[in-house]
Amino acid sequence: MSKAVFIAVAFAIALAVPLAAQSPAAFEQPLLITSAGQSADAQLAAVLAKKAELKADLVKMAGPKDLAGHKTLVLVLGASMKGLGAAGLDTAKEKDRIKGLLAAAKSQSIPVLCLHLGGEARRGELTDAMVAEYLPSARAALVVKSGDKDGLFTRICKEKGIALTEVDRTLDAVEPLKTAFAK
Amino acid sequence: MKRLAAAVLAAVLAAAGAQNPAPEKPPSPAPADRHVPFNYVGKNGMVVAAHPLAAEAGLAMLQAGGNAVDAAVAAALALNAAEPFASGLGGGGFMVIYLARNKKTTVISFREKAPAAATPSMFADKGEAAEEWKSERGTAVGVPGMPAGWDLALRRYGTKTLAQAAPRAIEIAEKGFPIGATFSAIDKDEYEKVLRNAGEATCYLNQGVPYEPGDIFRNPDLAKTLRRLGEFGIDDFYKGSIAAKIVAAVRAKGGIMTLDDLAAYAAQEVEPLHGTYKGYEILTAPPPATGGLHVIQMLDVLENWPIRAWGPESPAYIHHAAEALRFLFADHSRYMADPDSRPLPLDRLLSKEYARRIAAKVPDGRIAGEYPFSVFDESKDKRENTTHLAVADKEGNIVALTQSINDFFGSGIVPEGTGFLLNDHMRDFDTDPQSPNAPAPGRRPVSSMGPLIMTKEGRPFLALGSPGGLRIFPTLAQIIVNIVDFGMDLDEAIEAPRFFASSGNGKARPLVMETRIPGSVRGDLEKLGHSIALKEDYDKYFGGAQGLLFQWDKGIILGGADSRRDGAGAGY
Repeated sequence: MSKAVFIAVAFAIALAVPLAAQSPAAFEQPLLITSAGQSADAQLAAVLAKKAELKADLVKMAGPKDLAGHKTLVLVLGASMKGLGAAGLDTAKEKDRIKGLLAAAKSQSIPVLCLHLGGEARRGELTDAMVAEYLPSARAALVVKSGDKDGLFTRICKEKGIALTEVDRTLDAVEPLKTAFAK
Repeated sequence: MKRLAAAVLAAVLAAAGAQNPAPEKPPSPAPADRHVPFNYVGKNGMVVAAHPLAAEAGLAMLQAGGNAVDAAVAAALALNAAEPFASGLGGGGFMVIYLARNKKTTVISFREKAPAAATPSMFADKGEAAEEWKSERGTAVGVPGMPAGWDLALRRYGTKTLAQAAPRAIEIAEKGFPIGATFSAIDKDEYEKVLRNAGEATCYLNQGVPYEPGDIFRNPDLAKTLRRLGEFGIDDFYKGSIAAKIVAAVRAKGGIMTLDDLAAYAAQEVEPLHGTYKGYEILTAPPPATGGLHVIQMLDVLENWPIRAWGPESPAYIHHAAEALRFLFADHSRYMADPDSRPLPLDRLLSKEYARRIAAKVPDGRIAGEYPFSVFDESKDKRENTTHLAVADKEGNIVALTQSINDFFGSGIVPEGTGFLLNDHMRDFDTDPQSPNAPAPGRRPVSSMGPLIMTKEGRPFLALGSPGGLRIFPTLAQIIVNIVDFGMDLDEAIEAPRFFASSGNGKARPLVMETRIPGSVRGDLEKLGHSIALKEDYDKYFGGAQGLLFQWDKGIILGGADSRRDGAGAGY
């Protein structure tokens, strides 16, 4: 199958069915997990990946070079002023980093999976801005439902044809992750 | 007899433990919209605390015949079970006690101390990693004072033992309770620290991930620890098996604490600090607690202006108060230290003349722009931690108790099998070895806590305190002004919009405020030169105050509990 056909098929699968129902796997291992906004949720994603028995590396401030050897980029959306401060980043620097990373992933045909794990408490002006900017780059999104009370994720995913899976609780994300990366 | 009763109770409790019993349902008499001002009312006694289960535990102690000190310790222990991320056995605090019989006010000081191996440069030597070593490594942990403080208060002024005060906390820890949005959000915020230091299997995580609202939180290890304290007394904590676990946990994370440090710890009873404001007397914990001291200073400065005429949320009031704060932050940086290590110029700082001089430096139509040097950096101080409770009993005894493990979830270090979190109060020392507040053997770090009791004409008027780092004193001063000058009732005063300002390196830092302060007022303030930074409508950045207001003419006690956290009251 040519690369173009493969991408088209993968896109069609992603469009048609939610993440947990995608088979064959929408994504391949190993994963590079990084944060968009430097909240603790990226660490949480790494723990969930471990529970799902996935081969994953967490690099909270990943750059294009970190993509080497990885077949999926997991972008964990969630801004934390505390996290940004601890990382010595301001909003502009963080946005520049993510833009560069997404561009590199696109050029290497590495698909992006967006996660939002922090629920309602992890929404806010900065997180919402990042969701609006980066979620359209994703092939699929996995969201803890309380974070989508106002339908922000649903709306963007619908508009952009992104497969959206919502789970009630953080721990419920393990099974959809397993399925999404199942061989 | 007291000792025998304690032993019997401890034995009964030890036998009563059950596997995963039905979780507690917190009582919730407050209105559906928790931000609507709501005063709890009691005739005989009242407890206000940062969690309803703690308020209820204190009330149960009062109704069982305990006095205010007994109830305060029962509520404090319950907070260790119900709000473990803010305070607990691994921390310290300050308790202001008003004794009705002889109208005496006293203070139990149980602030943590630096280990004997501490040195002034211990954090500076870490370079860029200093903050991490101050907050998340073993060197972050000060020698805990909490059990010693509770025990000293009970022995001197209570009628119960620690074993008799602990059963409700043990029950909460064992049965568990559904956690709220506050606990869940904080668990998520501090996830990395908790995961790194307490591990994936800790009770502070739910199967390795943060708790969601509604999840049941249980802490059987804490229940066991509290039972041990009941059975063997605080010696087990400072010289026995718990001490060994504390030292092992701290040293495994690179810390310097020893068994000798724990064995040497003793809480102190000290005289309160006095101040006055418009005919009211303020009695508060003295340094190393600085919150009450700065409250008095702030109110002294405000006395020089017609703030009553200006009114709440007026540009003139907020402008002048913000400027006063900017000047006062210089005093904090320059003078505050453990009074056992160097004398503090308290008489001068608390003089009305000194306050007049500060007030005179504040221009009416603009910010001063230049302030005495202060090293405080608001941008690095996001701390919302700590907790406050207050109790009054039917005899008229009152307790105002502020306690903490410093940052939420403290250092994140849990001594094996104990269920309690160790503090990171070494972070309250300055990194600069030349600072009067640099670490040193046995030294206590400067604290922002400021539990206080106000009296008028010799009778208690208000008991008040709050968490919130260096926002504590501005928050408490604003609540007092809301009541005394603006005529608000207690909870209205607590829920009213708050603001905060500071100076750093001689320059004004932003005037931070809740969004409920109208845009037109913010605009007027900007015209005066203030840079405005907005927080949420009700933001725990500004603390979570709890208070009691005594209405002697009506024979009632009002309890106010802050909706910025999970504050609640219980009276009878």
